[in-house]
Amino acid sequence: MAIDIKKVLLLGGGPTSIGHENELDAAAFERVMALKKTGAQIIYVDNNPFSFASEEIQPANVYVQEVNFQNVINIIDKEKPDAIMATTGGLNAMQIAWQLAESDVLTTNNITLLGMRPTDLKKVIDNQKLRNLLTEINEQVIASKIVANDEEAMDFVRDVGFPVIVKPISPSHDTSRFICNNTDELEDALEVSFKRTYIKRCSIEQSIVGYKEIEMVGLRDSNGNKILISGLEDMDPIGIHSGDSIIFAPTQTLINEEYQALRTATFRIMDALNIAGTCHVQFAQSRTDSNYFVTKVSPFFTRNTLLAAKATGYPLTYVSSFLELGYTLTEIKLPTKYSKYLAFMEPTMDHVVVKIPLWPFRDITDVDQHLNTLMKSVGSTIGIGRTVEEAIIKAMHSSQFSPRDILPSVSTVDDDAVINQLIHPLASRILILMEALRRGFSIDELSELTRIDRFYFYKLNQLLRAQDFVINNPLSAQAVEIGHNYGFGDGMLAELWQVNISTIRRINRNCNPVTYKEVEPSAGEFRETTNIFYSSYELENESKSDSGKTALVIGRGGNQLGPNSAADYYTSQILWTLKKSGYKTIIMNTNPNAVSLTPQLSDKQYIEPIQLGNILNIVSLEKPDVMFLPGNRHYLSNELEKFADLNMIVLPPDQKVAKYKNHQATTAIDVFIDQDKIIPITSISFFTRSDRTEVRYINDYQQPMEQWQTDETELISKALKLLDTSKWQGLVQVLFNKVDSHYHFSGIRPIRITETAFLTKTTGVNWVNALVKKHLGILDFNQLEKQLIPETHQRYSIMKAHFPFRELQSSRTDGTTRQEVGASLSFKNMSNT
Amino acid sequence: MTQRYLILEDGSAYAGKAFGSLATTTGEIVANSTMNGYQEIISNQIYHNQIIVFTQPSIGNTGLDQNAYESILPSAKGVIVREYENLATDHFKRISLDRYLKQHKIPGIYDVDTRQIRHHLQQFGNMKASIVDVADDHAFDQLHATVLTNQQVAQVATPKPYPNPDDGDNVVVVDFGLKSGILRELSKRNCNITVVPWDSSSETILDLDPDGIVLSTGPGAPFNLPDSILQMIRDVQSQVPLFGMGLGHELFALANGAKVVKMRVEHHGSNHPIREIITNEIFFSAQEQGYAVDPKSIDHAKLFITHVDLVNGTVQGLRHRDYPAISVQFSPDGAPGPKDSVGLFDDFIEFMARRRDSNGDRY
Repeated sequence: MAIDIKKVLLLGGGPTSIGHENELDAAAFERVMALKKTGAQIIYVDNNPFSFASEEIQPANVYVQEVNFQNVINIIDKEKPDAIMATTGGLNAMQIAWQLAESDVLTTNNITLLGMRPTDLKKVIDNQKLRNLLTEINEQVIASKIVANDEEAMDFVRDVGFPVIVKPISPSHDTSRFICNNTDELEDALEVSFKRTYIKRCSIEQSIVGYKEIEMVGLRDSNGNKILISGLEDMDPIGIHSGDSIIFAPTQTLINEEYQALRTATFRIMDALNIAGTCHVQFAQSRTDSNYFVTKVSPFFTRNTLLAAKATGYPLTYVSSFLELGYTLTEIKLPTKYSKYLAFMEPTMDHVVVKIPLWPFRDITDVDQHLNTLMKSVGSTIGIGRTVEEAIIKAMHSSQFSPRDILPSVSTVDDDAVINQLIHPLASRILILMEALRRGFSIDELSELTRIDRFYFYKLNQLLRAQDFVINNPLSAQAVEIGHNYGFGDGMLAELWQVNISTIRRINRNCNPVTYKEVEPSAGEFRETTNIFYSSYELENESKSDSGKTALVIGRGGNQLGPNSAADYYTSQILWTLKKSGYKTIIMNTNPNAVSLTPQLSDKQYIEPIQLGNILNIVSLEKPDVMFLPGNRHYLSNELEKFADLNMIVLPPDQKVAKYKNHQATTAIDVFIDQDKIIPITSISFFTRSDRTEVRYINDYQQPMEQWQTDETELISKALKLLDTSKWQGLVQVLFNKVDSHYHFSGIRPIRITETAFLTKTTGVNWVNALVKKHLGILDFNQLEKQLIPETHQRYSIMKAHFPFRELQSSRTDGTTRQEVGASLSFKNMSNT
Repeated sequence: MTQRYLILEDGSAYAGKAFGSLATTTGEIVANSTMNGYQEIISNQIYHNQIIVFTQPSIGNTGLDQNAYESILPSAKGVIVREYENLATDHFKRISLDRYLKQHKIPGIYDVDTRQIRHHLQQFGNMKASIVDVADDHAFDQLHATVLTNQQVAQVATPKPYPNPDDGDNVVVVDFGLKSGILRELSKRNCNITVVPWDSSSETILDLDPDGIVLSTGPGAPFNLPDSILQMIRDVQSQVPLFGMGLGHELFALANGAKVVKMRVEHHGSNHPIREIITNEIFFSAQEQGYAVDPKSIDHAKLFITHVDLVNGTVQGLRHRDYPAISVQFSPDGAPGPKDSVGLFDDFIEFMARRRDSNGDRY
């Protein structure tokens, strides 16, 4: 039975960090869209300045505050919601929900916790209770113990034997774990771990390093009906954090018996926890027998929950929102683009999805780059293909972050280093695996060294052979065909043969043209219109170009450090504006966690590597009226500019146009320029943790500026005089460096993506929307001017960057704009200062 | 890599690459969307005289497992897949898919647009197809001229009875093209099994003093089998608990006066929710269904519907009003496919136990 909800408090995911990208915001956005249909009032709490979800909620109902226990209690006191949804807020939100239940806040305020009953939630949050529960339902868990000193740890090891894994018990952060193979390693690990836990407890557990890591994502309704969305298989064995592992969907190396056992176990666990909604269960599967362990139960949205949804095309977030509200699977009415049976049909795939993580080591170099049980990746990217090889190549391609279509090689690494990296993997793992094959290591040997299933080496070997064929038979139609079959895009072929892409496209005319296949959960049984496509070179093309005005937006791909989660926000705003302005929107992206890939924002999605060849293929099919390229991508914009018939808009304009007098700044004036009209938006003060004033270190912002009472008006008029509207258009920032109470002009630049998001949140005017409309020629300048009524500042808005230094165990505290992983937003009343 | 062709009765042809045997074969083409268990699917006798199109893009990844055959002599007429992997995992002493198909003279074609073929079959329904070396007029003439047998059961079922001893309930399994999963589940429950030929009489069966009788799965249409089978079912259902699956379910329905119709598009997959009417719960199970019991034809004085497929509305389970006799259209043994409904075997055991407890008084 559906629960009648008038007012629901939705807990947000907070700033992005290692272990949490935009997926929670994407899920929250879809959830908000679903909840709106029920007529419930939504209260949202989140301090992520790049949250797109919060903008679909009445501003008065959005609390820009850190998602913590005390803040949530205060909001409850004020708002009196009748329900709480925590599942799109990550583990943090689930822990808060648990605290609310434990402290009787839920019962005294008569609040329903949606998705799980508090008693069941407790069993998930409390590790010991979860172990008891799993044991009760005959699921095997790894032997584990909480220890307070070295002696207790040694006692445990005497029982279970080495290897063991040690981790400090710390409520905020569950990622640091140490594998110990002997007493010395154990002593070292305990020493470090006890330092990291303020309650002076560590957990120690039996190690299952080398087992296969398999993940299952299921759905359950309050009547006990269950479906399995997808199984996921980590290529890397247990020992490498799942977030750092290459992941395949569907599972590739499990036989039916093994797969069904894990599916059944997932269902049993969801039943035992009475879950209404989604649940992600992780397993360690033995390589030698059918034995398995349950390693993690997450009855809330995780990256891989969303990956399972993306992989199958199943509208998981939408459906689970209704399940949490008490609807049953058969009662859910899906948007009309889906067949009416789809909500309760178990997804079945006829394509392969590969996810490759992205690591931050290009921007943060002085940390341990080995992959282990501590997660280090900051983003990921997916490749979809009709064959395993095609999916691998596309994912690899997208993970290189070079739009130049090169398949990178690590042939310069010496043999010793190759062996060393096979055993102690680094971020370039897949390249090393291929290099080892190229050097003649046998598959059995490699499988033994890496604990990676032989299947994957067979596949990589096929890829190598295909690549060799392509290299040795340049410009032949057969090589193009084989290349296409294995996922080599036209751009890649051009690069391998050192020719222009148009040459390849000429040879192509004699080959099968590119076709697009739909990602949908019935494997062709029904003609679904999920409108999610990927390319393959086959017979039937399922993507038809739209009539009417169309706009293509080129997404940024997987998150790296720097302004990436802000860029996803920015891209989403572009899509939303285009859609609301009557365009059919088409997004091309590969980031499974991106808000910009949520189905509500686009009419069509292409999950394709963001590479020149792939873009041109889509352009020739779709013939978009306008194309948006968000973010700083010099190579792509330069290459695409060569195609004169493309109506391309680069937003924000390339930072290369910035004019600096010097690279020091403390203060800025932000303005919006349309033709010869300028609107001053606000003043900004810059901060850095170490009081630096170099522009590249500026990551913290305050609006309005310090001493605005006395200095702002004058500085604005100074800025306006410096701006030449024949040179500057759109969102522009005039930089000043304050030395001894004098503001010296330091430069003019387009407003960066992160700051555009900040401005939108603090001024209440959607600046991305204004920019897009300006470029489309549909901006109502007068209305924009009216929206921004100058008034006395009431509060300070502050945005602070977050850096992943602690997670990467770096001692740095202050980073550059290229090292930020996310940010938090807060407000401070003027009277408090 | 030899190029070969899949040609369909309606004139369409698909070029692909050969694997497995290089035999030229003709059969009815069906698409299967179950994502795991290619070995179980290929070795299931239900695919006798059929060409299987896997929508699952990649098969062969794990080799063939000694414990996962659904029959010893597979008799499918072909395997069509986007990509196949010729892997054998030495570790488990597995053989490769290619070798297996060669051994059993089953041709395979890979590197074809199986998604397009699936769409084609969904649109145009069941049809004949051939795997050939050349897709010329002659090949199509041959295809059109080939008359597929309707005696599938006689060709695949055991001609002689054989035992599978244990110390539990005496179960007689009538073999219409039995899949091993049924025996596996009965064995797990310690049943003392005797498998008998499809045309065994009720006397032969009852003389074995069964506690229960299983009507197995099998290939082809139930109405191609002689009426004596239906008489046998009517005779035994009043004597001992009965459990029918697949073809066995269709025969049970016919024996009790219902009609069975051929489906326009066969459904082979495990993605359809099946609703158990009494509990209103949904679950999933492998379905390999070319025929369906017509719900309008059911004599409600004799049978009631226990399960339905929520997608195509077909009857998925029946129960007799007067006797402990049940039947399901799907394969509850989960080989391959979900094991959500494996509890039906326990229900069957329960029927036998109750009959023993009541000392057969009711009969």
